[in-house]
Amino acid sequence: MAEKDPILEGLEGKIGRTAAKNGRFFFEVADENIRDVARHLFIAKSCRLSTATATETRRGLEVLYHFSHDATGRYYCPRVVMTDRGHPKMRSIAPIVKGAEWIEREMAELFGITFEGHPRPERLLTRDHPKPPDRPLRLRRTP
Amino acid sequence: MSQTVVPIGPFHPLLEEAEFFRLSVDGETVTGIDTDIGYMHRGHEFISERKTFTQSIFLVERICGICSTSHPLAFVHAVEDVDNVEIPVRAAYIRTVVGELERIHSHLLWLGLAGHFIGYDTLWMWAWKYREPILEIFETITGNRNHYAMMRVGGVARDVPPEAVPPLLKTLDMIERKMAMIAKAAADDPVLRSRLKGVGVLSRQAAIDYCAVGPTARASGLAIDVRKDEPKDAYALVDFKAIVLENGDVYDKLVVRVLEIIESIKIVRQCLEKLKTAPGPILNDVKEVTAGEGIGRYEAPRGEVFHYVRTDGSNRPLRHKVRAPSYVNIPTCEVSCKGIPLADALITLASVDPCYCCTERAVHLVDARGVRITPDLLQLSRDKTERLRRDIHG
Repeated sequence: MAEKDPILEGLEGKIGRTAAKNGRFFFEVADENIRDVARHLFIAKSCRLSTATATETRRGLEVLYHFSHDATGRYYCPRVVMTDRGHPKMRSIAPIVKGAEWIEREMAELFGITFEGHPRPERLLTRDHPKPPDRPLRLRRTP
Repeated sequence: MSQTVVPIGPFHPLLEEAEFFRLSVDGETVTGIDTDIGYMHRGHEFISERKTFTQSIFLVERICGICSTSHPLAFVHAVEDVDNVEIPVRAAYIRTVVGELERIHSHLLWLGLAGHFIGYDTLWMWAWKYREPILEIFETITGNRNHYAMMRVGGVARDVPPEAVPPLLKTLDMIERKMAMIAKAAADDPVLRSRLKGVGVLSRQAAIDYCAVGPTARASGLAIDVRKDEPKDAYALVDFKAIVLENGDVYDKLVVRVLEIIESIKIVRQCLEKLKTAPGPILNDVKEVTAGEGIGRYEAPRGEVFHYVRTDGSNRPLRHKVRAPSYVNIPTCEVSCKGIPLADALITLASVDPCYCCTERAVHLVDARGVRITPDLLQLSRDKTERLRRDIHG
């Protein structure tokens, strides 16, 4: 179901079909547009990044960002899908949203996703670990 | 110029749980901070995806010993969000009572620790002394001082009988008087003021950049509070203020928490009054959860707790994401610790009320003869709950 929303105005052509329910808006975004979408939501519309969720599905790997618009209590969730399971990579939004730094590092560590342009692409949970686990939240461990 | 690094942690006498801060210092002044986490990682998201929705409530309750209602509440909100499940009004009031009592005891815990961190142990002993009656109310309502197991998808597990309300209100009156005293003492105390005023300032812009939440954000002038922004349970039915201050220093973070305790008492009183007459069941039976996505959040004592579930129509989540408030608040120390003397760094680190996930309780005690005495302790605990019930109910 598509629904027009004032926060999403200006993103025409950059976001896919929007599923809206209970004030939650889920939409797909191509990797090349994710930084524009993050800039629009975080800077132009004053949304706050709650966190991001990576998931492995049949289509590949998905990263779903959760932006909260606190004035209205609504959630805007752009989803980036990566079909290359072996070497999943996408642009980092951490240069735009400082609050995305830790969660992108964690997703890189737990799912093996490369976030290009991340200011500090290091492990978050197992830095200096003698035997760091290999992408522990992936369904298939070997690409 | 060579740089000196002062390590704090992973094990440190003042920080109860493991976390590692590397403070770069130039003389006495902190010039940078690097944080290492992961010492308490227990893989809750991985485990949760292998549990049913009801089992996961008990699991997420054990993410944190202090926020042991906030995580289950955010989780059940997320599951209810998938299918727009409505909860009975009586359950809404009970959820709010438990949530707000948790805020009071958590803020008192922090207040005591903050006093302890700056060497002001009188405040510590005061705050923890008056935290005790709150825990005893919990024990009366839920049967436990922590890990209350009250939340269910569609309502709550246990009712607060109307005849139990008047004694609880009486205890609340006593607590309110003590809290007003603590609030006045903390606000007027010259030691706290001179020690905390202007220390560890987090600017409004930095709070926005780091996506800070809870008292950390509200002390920096950001008016964000899930209870106001997306009122669920009984929050739309009660009258309260969101406390917002401007300076962003440790003192304002303390004042925000102290004033929030007073607001929470108001909320609990309003809910308990309603529970005397609010009709109905306490649980809507949810037979199944359809395929979909749900977002649930709750304003925990430290800020927004966020849970996301994706479901496929089975009885367990396909994906369950958990984000605790400290996850976004701890990185703000990069800004608030910069440029302050090393002696102020610890209270600044503690000012976000960092919650290093508490370990699960699984204790087997053995007496001198090698005999397990855990069952005796359980019996003692149950006897105490009964005694409390009798005392409070007269």
